[in-house]
Amino acid sequence: MIEVKEVEEPRRIPIIGSIGGMYTVFKHLFKKPVTVQYPEEKENQGDRFRFRIYLSTDDCVGCTLCEQVCPNLTITMVSLDKENPRNKRKIYPAVNFGTCTVCRNCEEICPTDAIYLKDVFETSRTKNSFFYSPTELEKNEDEVRR
Amino acid sequence: MNLLTRIALILGFLGHYPAYILAYIIETLIVLIFAVVVVAGMVYFFRKYMARVQMRIGPNRVGKYGVLQVMADGLKLIQKESIMPQGRDDLPYKVAPLIIFIALIMGFVFIPYGPLAWLGTLTVTHSDVSLVIMFALIAIMPIGELLSGIVSNNKYAVLGSLRGVAKDISFEVPMMLSVLAIVMMASATKGISPLDLNGIVQAQNIPFAILEPLGFFVFLISMAARASYSPFDMGESDSELVTGNTTEYSGLRFGMFYLGLFGTIFLGSMILSTMYLGGYNGPFVDDLGFIWLLIKTMVIVVISLTIWLSMPRVRIDKFVTFGWKYLLPISFINLILTGFLVLGGIS
Repeated sequence: MIEVKEVEEPRRIPIIGSIGGMYTVFKHLFKKPVTVQYPEEKENQGDRFRFRIYLSTDDCVGCTLCEQVCPNLTITMVSLDKENPRNKRKIYPAVNFGTCTVCRNCEEICPTDAIYLKDVFETSRTKNSFFYSPTELEKNEDEVRR
Repeated sequence: MNLLTRIALILGFLGHYPAYILAYIIETLIVLIFAVVVVAGMVYFFRKYMARVQMRIGPNRVGKYGVLQVMADGLKLIQKESIMPQGRDDLPYKVAPLIIFIALIMGFVFIPYGPLAWLGTLTVTHSDVSLVIMFALIAIMPIGELLSGIVSNNKYAVLGSLRGVAKDISFEVPMMLSVLAIVMMASATKGISPLDLNGIVQAQNIPFAILEPLGFFVFLISMAARASYSPFDMGESDSELVTGNTTEYSGLRFGMFYLGLFGTIFLGSMILSTMYLGGYNGPFVDDLGFIWLLIKTMVIVVISLTIWLSMPRVRIDKFVTFGWKYLLPISFINLILTGFLVLGGIS
């Protein structure tokens, strides 16, 4: 048999607990707000923060490893008419940032380091047009916007 | 010298009677503007205070530090279409928000504001029974709440107003008993009309909050329940009953309920500081009386808002139990203690 001990609850005086709660709430009045006013001020990112996928089409060999390793079909291979002796099939990855989870598998698996990620997170597009073609993946955000 | 005669003196070139008639109109306008500005300021203050307590920034886009946010909200509410439910009882539906708002604005007339520097005393009316009128006006407000609930043909609204009525009857008896103790205390002082709020202020050489802390406690809780904010917002209870009695209201009519809530907090704090904290009494009364009243009111407002932001909603049956089993005996004890104090001649 397991003995069930009845634990006596400490005697609570009414109101006192409420006043304690009120004091805790009031104390926070003098703390600094944690809100970041986004467009005007930006929060410091960590050193290893990455979001935007870049591609150098000169290095890409069209091995489709990034497409195979991508967990949610974010990367699809598209054909691009560009003279590259190492890329005979002329296929390059295109990225849909709407579904990208930034798992960085593509960066890890790429044999020639053609795909790499940078800490840019303000992508230039909105509303269902997150699809970046290989030529757009090469450029910076400012150039893509133009 | 009071505000009315001061304005009449300025307008003296018009002759005696026109000057006084104009002065009456201007004074009325001043009170109306004061009430509306104070209520709007109360909304801004609440939003800013709540934000800072929750470590946010609060409204800061419209105007400097977001001061004009309330005006922007008001404009939005005015522009909005007022959608009315089918099967409503039309007249009470439209009258209900007006009852609350007008009773609130009229409440501001009877507060003794005290003197302020060159202007003289700012107190608007002199009535021998201003206390009775004030609590009559406070007692009118629940009627607006009840009407808005039962008339708008919505089950949530009916439930909300029923809860509101259950809340109102359980705190109003203790509230009036604690007011009775105040009147007893004030009547012990010679040459003062004890039913006049101004007389009650003059009777407080020692603030009544020190002499009857129990009454202060009961009255603070009653005023919180009257304004029906968070621990006692079972009439509104937005997580259970949508928004209770105001569910079917939109546009400016909803705005009136909203302003009524915040105005009641400020008015309640003003009554509390008038009756228990000595009103406009303080050092340099003749110059700074109004400022003292405002400071005391703001302290009570901050306490009220802290109560609002720190406590969860009380269940309706628990509040009714609290009202009848605790507040009522406490206010009776307070009454008896006050009787002893008055007999002993301490006040």
